[in-house]
Amino acid sequence: MSRSIVVTGIGAVTPLGENFSISWNTLLAGRDAATPLDLFDTTGCRCHHAASATLPPVPGVSAKTIRRLARASHLAIPAAREALASAGLLDAEGRSTLRELPFSVATTAGGMAFGEDFLRRVLTHDRSKSGSHRFSRVSRYLPQQQVLDVQQALGFAGHSAIIANACASGANAIGHAADLITVGAADCVLTGGFEALTELVFVGFDCLQATSTDRCRPFDLNRSGLLLGEAAAFLVLESAEHAQQRGATPLCELTGYGHTTDFFHLTQPQPDGAALVEVMRAATSQARIAPAQIGYINAHGTATAVNDGTEAKAYGAFLGDALGSTRISSTKAAIGHTLGAAGAVEALFAIAALRTGHLPPQLNLQTPIPEMAQALVGAKESSSEMEHVMSVNLGFGGSNAALVFSRSESS
Amino acid sequence: MKIDLAVIGQGAVSPAGVGLDALLHREPVPLPVAALGEPNQPWPVLRVDLKDPAFARWQREARLRRASSMTFFLIEAAEQALAGISPADRAETGLIVAFSAGCLSYSRRFFESIVMQGQKTASPALFPETVFNSPVSHVASVLGLNGAAYALCGDETAWIAALQTASIWMQRERVRQVLVMGAEEFDPIVLDAYRSARWLRRENTDNGFLTSEGAAGILVRRAGPEDTRVIATARNGFIYRTKKEAAAAAKRLLSESDPALPCYPSAQHNWLGSLEKKATENWTVVPLGNQPYLGEAFTASAAWHTLRALTCLNSDLPRLLLPVWGLNHQLGLLELEAQK
Repeated sequence: MSRSIVVTGIGAVTPLGENFSISWNTLLAGRDAATPLDLFDTTGCRCHHAASATLPPVPGVSAKTIRRLARASHLAIPAAREALASAGLLDAEGRSTLRELPFSVATTAGGMAFGEDFLRRVLTHDRSKSGSHRFSRVSRYLPQQQVLDVQQALGFAGHSAIIANACASGANAIGHAADLITVGAADCVLTGGFEALTELVFVGFDCLQATSTDRCRPFDLNRSGLLLGEAAAFLVLESAEHAQQRGATPLCELTGYGHTTDFFHLTQPQPDGAALVEVMRAATSQARIAPAQIGYINAHGTATAVNDGTEAKAYGAFLGDALGSTRISSTKAAIGHTLGAAGAVEALFAIAALRTGHLPPQLNLQTPIPEMAQALVGAKESSSEMEHVMSVNLGFGGSNAALVFSRSESS
Repeated sequence: MKIDLAVIGQGAVSPAGVGLDALLHREPVPLPVAALGEPNQPWPVLRVDLKDPAFARWQREARLRRASSMTFFLIEAAEQALAGISPADRAETGLIVAFSAGCLSYSRRFFESIVMQGQKTASPALFPETVFNSPVSHVASVLGLNGAAYALCGDETAWIAALQTASIWMQRERVRQVLVMGAEEFDPIVLDAYRSARWLRRENTDNGFLTSEGAAGILVRRAGPEDTRVIATARNGFIYRTKKEAAAAAKRLLSESDPALPCYPSAQHNWLGSLEKKATENWTVVPLGNQPYLGEAFTASAAWHTLRALTCLNSDLPRLLLPVWGLNHQLGLLELEAQK
């Protein structure tokens, strides 16, 4: 990228913890967050568990406002607050010090539970006075309302873009934020994604038989499907000059972004992984590095039969002889597939690996698929010599995206 | 933000019919449709006629056999905008579509089956078509648009974000040109929602809007001196939650604009109409002439207004402001020019 872009703040709420630090340490400890799902009834589903998050408190927001928030906003506000705080962009009242702060966000379902509730009440002629059938609630199912919740809770306004490219959205949102800075449309952008578990989406994946009734086992010969999860994760991206001017310490640089569309099928990637190879090459080309220079890849790795097989082929084609020395894992085994948030939360895990040298282990692995066997991260593995890491995502509709983060000289 | 996009192609599908001529001149006829929760009380709704012969070729496409009605609106408008563009140029064309509610009809049908018949009856054929970017993927695939593809969502101002994104892609040299679109589809559930918000127009009144659906798109490239229809500037981010905040946001938005420029009125019959009248009282308003009322279709409306406003540009009206009144997040504005 022609203008250096640095990451100066990160924050996340995941099923592993109410902030990024807890989430990361729990991930390294090798725990997964799969639990029986109690957010809605799953009686008619094949699968009955998911990775749900414990909602953290939302300080600085009135109790009345909190009651009106969608679950997605309960996840997004604390994660965004943590990202701004770690970038040194929060004042004493917990408000953004930048009143104009562009916001590039990803989600696939927004506050869908409010829409579900409204439709259920209409269909069942429920006229109770709980207020949930009224417009004030249903209007809040739209994704821009969660964006507004975050903006108002943290006291900033400005340009926003909500990207809904299915499961690659989070990576797209980060890439779009970088684009805004690169062309000079912004100096500093809050970016990331959020997703809350909802019945419509859960049943949707269940009816596709994409969810597993077993443990989620990415890149395992006996993988049987994904674990759905929920999360919110945000990053503060800045031009290096802007960060330097305000004395912020970069965590790393964002050096590459690629995105492509795979036209093979609405829900399945091209079997040889060619589109995925293309997107990874685009990202490394922009970062001006060779594939073999990537120390760790946070893979999409949903643990569905089709995805992981295709992804394994793509890594073989992309990395060549470096497959094995470049370490790979899918953290979806631990936190589940968080859809619109996946690209953001997985980027954060890749950044943490780059900064600490600790690598997220490939959980729940029993019999790795042969071509990936030497590449998957084992327990308590570390690598202190990484200069670059990558995060890769694929989504329905053929959306593919890859991000490269590199060690920053000033970090 | 300066975006400097030259409009080199355009397409529209609306309740007035297929094509730009219908968009500009034909009066659509409302049809009575009942809300889901009140089957005995019909509301006038502006619908796209999917039996129009223009849709037949798309309905034969194998990839679109399960696609939503909105996908058909989109692909027909897209093909109009791409008229004369070679397959090689299409392969270097990006696609950005702005949505408000997305694939609403399939989402409602999918969840209705869960509620009324149980989770075991959920349709695996329907679910993938509920995803925001499914229509985008279909359109890009069928029309051979191999550039990048994004689905953006939001209120009407998602249209502005889409235009800004297109400009950025071209500045980054990711694509040579971008097809920017807005699309919405109708489902009766929205009548239940809008009715409770008192947004709908009652019989024999002029207050409230008619629910509408459709799509529109413009093919854009980076503007040069030879171009005659240019979207020069795009601004959004004037956020609000309450009507009071919306009034303040409108004041701020327009205070940053050149008061000498004529303003194209776009809020029309939604609740922001009175706000627009007040905010633009010191502006010269572009006369709309006989342009028919097309109802409220959010991002599609924003795209329709842009197409119509572009046709107003001429030597007497070389520049104009097009406010984009987002109904539940933010306000924005485009500045259109007859020449860069």
